[in-house]
Amino acid sequence: MAIPPEKSPVMEMRHISKRFDATQALDDVSLTLYPGEVHALIGENGAGKSTLIKIMTGVYQPDLGEMLLDGKPVEIRNSQEAQTHGIAAIYQEPMVYPDLNVAENIFISHQDRGPVVRWGKMYTDAEAILAKLDVRLDVRMPARGLTLAAQQAVEIAKAISLEVRVLIMDEPTASLSQHEVTQLFKLVRSLCSQGVSVLFIGHRLEEVFTIADRITVLRDGKWISTRLRGEVTNDMVIRDMVGRDVKDFFAKGTAERGDLLLSVRNLGKAGVFHGMNFDVYRGEVLGFAGLIGSRRTDVALALFGIEPADAGEIVIEGRSRRVTSPDNALRLGIAYASEDRRQLGLVMPMSIVSNISLPMLSHYLTRLGLLRRRKEIATAEKFRQRLNIRTPSVQAEVARLSGGNQQKVMLSKWLNAEPKLLILDEPTRGIDVGAKAEVHHMISDLAAQGIAVIMISSDLPEVLGMSDRILVMREGRQMAILDRSEATEETIMAAAMGHQSQSHMGVGSPEGKA
Amino acid sequence: MKTLVSRFRPEQIRLLFLIALMILMVVFFSIEIPGYFNARFVNRISTSVVVVAVLAVGQTLVFLTRNFDLSVGSIAGFTAYFVGQQMWWHKDWSPITAVLIALGIGIIAGSINGVLVAYGRVPSIITTIGTLAIFRSFLVEYSHAVPITTNNLPRWLVNLSSVVLLRIGEVQIRALFAIMIGVVIIFQLVLTFLPFGRRLYAIGSNPDAARIAGFPAQRMVFLAFLISGALAGLAGFLFIGRYGNVTVLAGIGLEFASIAAVVVGGVSNAGGSGTVVGAFLGALFLDLLENSLFRWQAVSEFWRDFILGMLILFAVALDNVVFGRLKNVWARAGLQMSTEESNEPEVASHVE
Repeated sequence: MAIPPEKSPVMEMRHISKRFDATQALDDVSLTLYPGEVHALIGENGAGKSTLIKIMTGVYQPDLGEMLLDGKPVEIRNSQEAQTHGIAAIYQEPMVYPDLNVAENIFISHQDRGPVVRWGKMYTDAEAILAKLDVRLDVRMPARGLTLAAQQAVEIAKAISLEVRVLIMDEPTASLSQHEVTQLFKLVRSLCSQGVSVLFIGHRLEEVFTIADRITVLRDGKWISTRLRGEVTNDMVIRDMVGRDVKDFFAKGTAERGDLLLSVRNLGKAGVFHGMNFDVYRGEVLGFAGLIGSRRTDVALALFGIEPADAGEIVIEGRSRRVTSPDNALRLGIAYASEDRRQLGLVMPMSIVSNISLPMLSHYLTRLGLLRRRKEIATAEKFRQRLNIRTPSVQAEVARLSGGNQQKVMLSKWLNAEPKLLILDEPTRGIDVGAKAEVHHMISDLAAQGIAVIMISSDLPEVLGMSDRILVMREGRQMAILDRSEATEETIMAAAMGHQSQSHMGVGSPEGKA
Repeated sequence: MKTLVSRFRPEQIRLLFLIALMILMVVFFSIEIPGYFNARFVNRISTSVVVVAVLAVGQTLVFLTRNFDLSVGSIAGFTAYFVGQQMWWHKDWSPITAVLIALGIGIIAGSINGVLVAYGRVPSIITTIGTLAIFRSFLVEYSHAVPITTNNLPRWLVNLSSVVLLRIGEVQIRALFAIMIGVVIIFQLVLTFLPFGRRLYAIGSNPDAARIAGFPAQRMVFLAFLISGALAGLAGFLFIGRYGNVTVLAGIGLEFASIAAVVVGGVSNAGGSGTVVGAFLGALFLDLLENSLFRWQAVSEFWRDFILGMLILFAVALDNVVFGRLKNVWARAGLQMSTEESNEPEVASHVE
């Protein structure tokens, strides 16, 4: 559907800006939604899509700019108000109540169905709505056990019952099968024919091109383009998504590539990722690029034994190994620094000393099994100097340190285990520019000392600057391994979005070495 | 399987199972103990279950929101004493006044729990352990350890436990039992038919979704505690009506009895599932068991508690293992009925 000029917009977002501490999440972004259109919103991770939809649904308030509904300015202070204005959102993981049945899930948010629940009427109403959508579900079934697709159908039914005018769908297809996606798109079409305007956020370009009437691209919190589907090509969209100036990042020194350390052959985990084939050499940084949901972290968790793989082979220094637990992985010389420092990486209320020695406590015991406090402190002091951790004392609580210094403590903790392979998951997320450069410097040093590094990062310039080779993943599959010389933001993004590009695809073991 | 599955929900099967177990128990003890099952026994059970059953109703509401209320025993104890004392001093006050006083004290105590848990964000287990101790010490301090006995109380209150509303042969429906049944029915209706009740299930079932939907979750958790407190107050009134004597120890351990009842009755502390009728059946089951074991010469007092404890663990294990699986079977069976048109393989095949 093209946009008939006589239609007036349902919703307009005008010059919206939003800042969180140091990051300008949105900078003067405008977006217009017409009734009956599917408007796709795309961009890299961190482009500002989530912030924008959170403003539309009242989770955040914009710093600047205004929102208009039917041409009248409105203020949306919470999700309840968004609902009364007819704005609803459906997320990748549907928000159903597992213990309530389908009909109840559809009507639970209604305020106006009288003081008493009329079960019979609710069932017939629910059946009527589902019939209108051509969805066959037993409305008396508890939502527990419904497939994700069925849960989404329930949420769409809920949206219709609330007479939604703007439906935001945040990556609704991420966990659906091809067949389910087709079904979902049918639902979306039928919604639009009833005049609902759909804002569709997606990572799969071919889906965006299938469903969208117009496509808006955001990048780094800024509006880049809004075009009719007929006027754009894949390449144009990808260029819009990545076309920023590559900032001056610290580049990894070209360390001599050492011996083969790790080979992964056909590694897979049912329903998560499969067919991973790559090698890592001593002194090398292998970057893992991909969008959210590409399952990069899951591969790392498998290598570190937290969520062991169930297919394929891990060969370390020529010997096939099974990695079944983190303990096991540490003994094999693999360490993993999680992206989630607060939840998985550090024990926040404990001191720097205790955090660093934690995985290696057995090395700090006297013959009687008591802790050798002095040795622990000595280790912590060593890392404090080596990594330049800024703290008044190594006895300080980790919770009191800045993000960058916490990241250094986490690195210390894993370096203390003297790993041969260090997996870093988003090592610079949420830390400031200065600390970022330091972390980059450290990674480079570690590689120079002969440690093999796998660096998962969503920051494309960082991946490009730091990696010797870059493995690109998409939805649990290895899409490409790019050499430093051939990798650009465009080639990485094309592979990550599943768009065919000229670079070689699939298994890419480096030339030369066997 | 399909017919069974489509006719009953797992929760209902569970309650039927509990009833079947009670019948088996009665049959077993009738064989073991001469003159065990008669109208007098039924009357005794129907009187002794009332206090715990009313507490269990309140506990159910709190459980649905993923919380505990450990203070109900202390609230009931304090209320029993306070109401008894007022009736002692004001012999002319009516029964309605007594009930209103009991509810009032319960509401105040429940609101304190509710404010701390819902608005102060103190975990309910901590909050109510605290108020359990605090309300108990109020009772000790307030009573100066002077017990209230039947001699001090007005006649109507002493005789309350033997007031019979309805006679079916020798089986008596007594006033206390009728009050309890009233509470059970009212709250079962509240949970089934009022939006408030359905939303209690919703916030326990998926708190994140409830937050996004804009439910007043804090207010609802507060109300759950307030109602639990009010019912604990009412239970205090029933306590004095049943026993006629109140000491500083009144109601000790009732919090655990009420939790045992709701757990046996199939209310999940993971929130979002369970019924008031289930909690009542749980209370009835435990009371029946305790009274039967008491009369069974074959087991000593020590083994009585042992058997009771084992049965509670058994109920929870049964819930997790058997009924967890049953729920899945049910869900899958339902799914087959609903999406026969889709013959896609289970594993998501991704778009290429």
